[in-house]
Amino acid sequence: MSLVKLDATASQAVESLLSEKGSQGPVRIELQFTGCCDPSLGLIVDTARESDLVEEVDGLTFVIDPQTHDLAGEVSIDYKDDNGRDVFILTSANTIGEWDGLITCSLRT
Amino acid sequence: MDQYKLFIDGEFVDAADGKTFDTIDPGTGLPFATVAQAGNADAEAAIAAAKRAFDSGVWSGLPMAERVAKLQDFADQISQQGVRMVMTECMDAGQIVGYAKIIVMWASLLMRNLSTYALTKFPMEEEISASGNAFSPGREFIVREPIGVCVGIVPWNFPTALAMWKIAPALIMGNTIVVKPASNTPLTALILAEAAKAAGIPKGVFNVIPGPGGALGKTICTHPDVDKIAFTGSTEVGREIMRMASDTVKKVTLELGGKSANIILDDADMDLAVEGACFGTFLHQGQICESGTRVLVPAKFYDEFVERMKKRAEAIRIGYQLDANSHMGPVVSKEQLATVEHYVQLGKEEGAELITGGKRAAVPGMEGGYYYTPTIFANVDNKMRVAQEEIFGPVVCVIKYNDDDEAVAIANDSIYGLAGGVFSSSIARAEGVARRIRTGTMWINNYHVFAEYCPFGGYKQSGVGRELGKWGLEEYTQVKRIHVPAFSDRNTNFPFTMLTDNKKMEGFSYTCPTAIIAGHGSLSAIYKSVVELGCKRAMILTDPGVRAAGLADLVKSALVDFCVGIYDKIPQDPDLESVDGAVEKARELQADCIVSVGGGSVIDAGKTVCVALKSGGKANDYINRWFALDEPQTPHIVVPTTAGTGSEVTNAAVITNKTAGRKLFIADPRITPNAAILDPRFTLTLPKGMTVGSAMDAMTHAVEAMTSIMANPICDGQALNAIRLITENLPLVAADGSNEKARLNMQIAATTAGWAFTIAQVGLAHAMAHTVGTLHHVPHGAACGIVLPHVMRFNVDHAAPKLAQVAQALGVDTHGMSERDAALAAADAVQALMQKVGHPMRLRDVGVPEEGLGLCAFHAMADSNVMFNARPAGDPGEIMELFKQAY
Repeated sequence: MSLVKLDATASQAVESLLSEKGSQGPVRIELQFTGCCDPSLGLIVDTARESDLVEEVDGLTFVIDPQTHDLAGEVSIDYKDDNGRDVFILTSANTIGEWDGLITCSLRT
Repeated sequence: MDQYKLFIDGEFVDAADGKTFDTIDPGTGLPFATVAQAGNADAEAAIAAAKRAFDSGVWSGLPMAERVAKLQDFADQISQQGVRMVMTECMDAGQIVGYAKIIVMWASLLMRNLSTYALTKFPMEEEISASGNAFSPGREFIVREPIGVCVGIVPWNFPTALAMWKIAPALIMGNTIVVKPASNTPLTALILAEAAKAAGIPKGVFNVIPGPGGALGKTICTHPDVDKIAFTGSTEVGREIMRMASDTVKKVTLELGGKSANIILDDADMDLAVEGACFGTFLHQGQICESGTRVLVPAKFYDEFVERMKKRAEAIRIGYQLDANSHMGPVVSKEQLATVEHYVQLGKEEGAELITGGKRAAVPGMEGGYYYTPTIFANVDNKMRVAQEEIFGPVVCVIKYNDDDEAVAIANDSIYGLAGGVFSSSIARAEGVARRIRTGTMWINNYHVFAEYCPFGGYKQSGVGRELGKWGLEEYTQVKRIHVPAFSDRNTNFPFTMLTDNKKMEGFSYTCPTAIIAGHGSLSAIYKSVVELGCKRAMILTDPGVRAAGLADLVKSALVDFCVGIYDKIPQDPDLESVDGAVEKARELQADCIVSVGGGSVIDAGKTVCVALKSGGKANDYINRWFALDEPQTPHIVVPTTAGTGSEVTNAAVITNKTAGRKLFIADPRITPNAAILDPRFTLTLPKGMTVGSAMDAMTHAVEAMTSIMANPICDGQALNAIRLITENLPLVAADGSNEKARLNMQIAATTAGWAFTIAQVGLAHAMAHTVGTLHHVPHGAACGIVLPHVMRFNVDHAAPKLAQVAQALGVDTHGMSERDAALAAADAVQALMQKVGHPMRLRDVGVPEEGLGLCAFHAMADSNVMFNARPAGDPGEIMELFKQAY
């Protein structure tokens, strides 16, 4: 099983955002909390840690810590243009939170 | 395992697709109940049931008393389920049993108390006593009505209480509701459904559909039959809900995330503050949106405070939630546990110093549970992610600060604004800091205090709207304004005249609140007037000239012990500052009544003083407001020393705003003086020029009131009487200012003319006079007199019958004249009277430059009095022509 799966538009969007930020990545898939009762998966430009699981997709490097991977399983990343804001919908093989599939995230630095 | 079903349209049913899910006890990690999992078909069915129930009126149409009686039964049924609900709440949400007992009891009390409050105190209907619209009088009131079908989306941290925060106000106000509990904690909402059914809440009014938000969210947040969404959860999901709701413009209340600051001031009781900081963070394992997870501690005792927090945190007992000895139970799920661990790791990587905790807790016999130790990070920079992002676990960041300003800045440096705390031995200091924090709730020397009558909700990205209390009830109502006009008549409807040529108003209302005491020596009556108004501390308001003439002291003498002082600094054309000075003096003297002794300037200032004295603030707070006062103002007695403005009986006051360079006014029946004493002795010393000028002001009031589109027979009678009195008595007082009888008649003329124009307004002559007064400082009375005859001729074909009556009152023998000729003769008679008494006849005589007339025309056209003129006056060219004639 792969760590991450992303469609072409998501791949282009991540690449473009990294380029704007002058970064090579990697992009971390992490657990985030955006308030009151809703943990979810998010994306952040980060450095790799020794224990991380690493996967390259379309020339982009994604990292995820093993515990999060165990919890989430494979993560699919879809892109959405939200009124000019680049956001991503992360869907994991295993449910993380109540609002999986609806909640969006941006690529943070 | 127990089996739970969806509750739709009054019945417990399986999901349409037969799906179920297990609910897990976080203390053991084991499933303990199976629940039907709602899909979109079930959500549609629940919304349809709620819509049918709402539209049928079976609930929304009940009188409040009957609805509340049902809800009291509902509350009783919740109480009967108390033990089961407490156990279920503990096993579903991980709440320790001691806490769950309080929460479940509160759910029942909340319904009982809020519904009783709604029945006995909540204003379902409210009168608007002052509408602010002077042109469309009548009854104005609002009724509150239910919104319709509500959706309540409930989080997992307090599944019973937060469900009740939505169910109670929705049902009390007559709405129907579909509740979607969190998938982690679906059970107590379904027990509430059992209680509702047992209490006889009609089918469809209350529905519960457990299921994943991600799958159901779109249906319940976009469905056209859903009218309102109340959501408690994360800011990101709240944002998405708001976006989905916007398509059909649903009402939303959102209670979202928080990263609240608990500020320990340097004079705080250390024992109390340490306890408050730990309680504010570790209660319910930190899974509370308003938790004080940023503890701000002064550098002065930072190290000591951190050390004491560490000891206190390490004394917290962690155990299974149904063990009565446990202080902290598990976090709600393995996902939440992983999130907490992730953030603790992040804090360490960011450089925060881990003081204690930072690891899972071992609870013997409960190895599968999700327990985490109370965790303290010290030396945290507020920019760190652990200080900016909500963790929703037992993790606190202790942040050092140097002074109160820095503490406030740190507290406000957050995208959230939900709550916070301040600990100090000085309540005044703590309150001062609390007021500076941009959050919806602040606790002083306390934390996590909720009450059903107190609102809860967030500033900034912590939410929209409020829950609980009357504010929470309001969120479940729509406000409908109902206007019932004073006249149901197309010919007495001022706005309707915009589409007609007939501008004349037929119906009228007439209020005469001012007591008039007139005659030689009538000043003596002031003693009783003060008593009748219930006052004992009258302040005399006057100007330096009147004071120097001894008139104010005459009034002081008449007031005996009721006079607490004289304020004599009111200038001609009073400005805001002079009124504020008088108000300050009146407050200092604790005056309960104002006695204005002077001309129109003093009386207008007095009216404004009375408003500010009663309602607080400064004069500028009340200027340029029409019909906005909704209660009687400070009592006002006036003793006029001129005979012209009629201000002693009018509902308007003109005050100059020096900064704006304009004369502004208040128009409101509440500022009409309570009593006017017309004692001719007070006008005997008025110079001839002012006597004549003010008389022509009164004449213009009377003539323009008669020809106004708002005129009526009462105003006509007063106006004609005023014109007669002026015609007969002005030449007498001009010739002999000491003629006391003629002086009294002139005072009565001014008063009756004042009444006349209070009823019917004035017109173009006043608009033109205001303009030359403002732009070229021409005394108002003189300006009125000069332009009046020209305006009368301008109006002749729109007001001939009225002007013919004016001619008779002016002493013109109209026998044999056509009505039009009589009307024109009235204008001639006014000019003849002016010549007879030595009144200036042309604008050039009073300093108006010819080149200024064009600008005057434009200003006059914009004056509000123009709209009441007999003849429409919207052409600046026509007004310019009138100015030229008067020049």
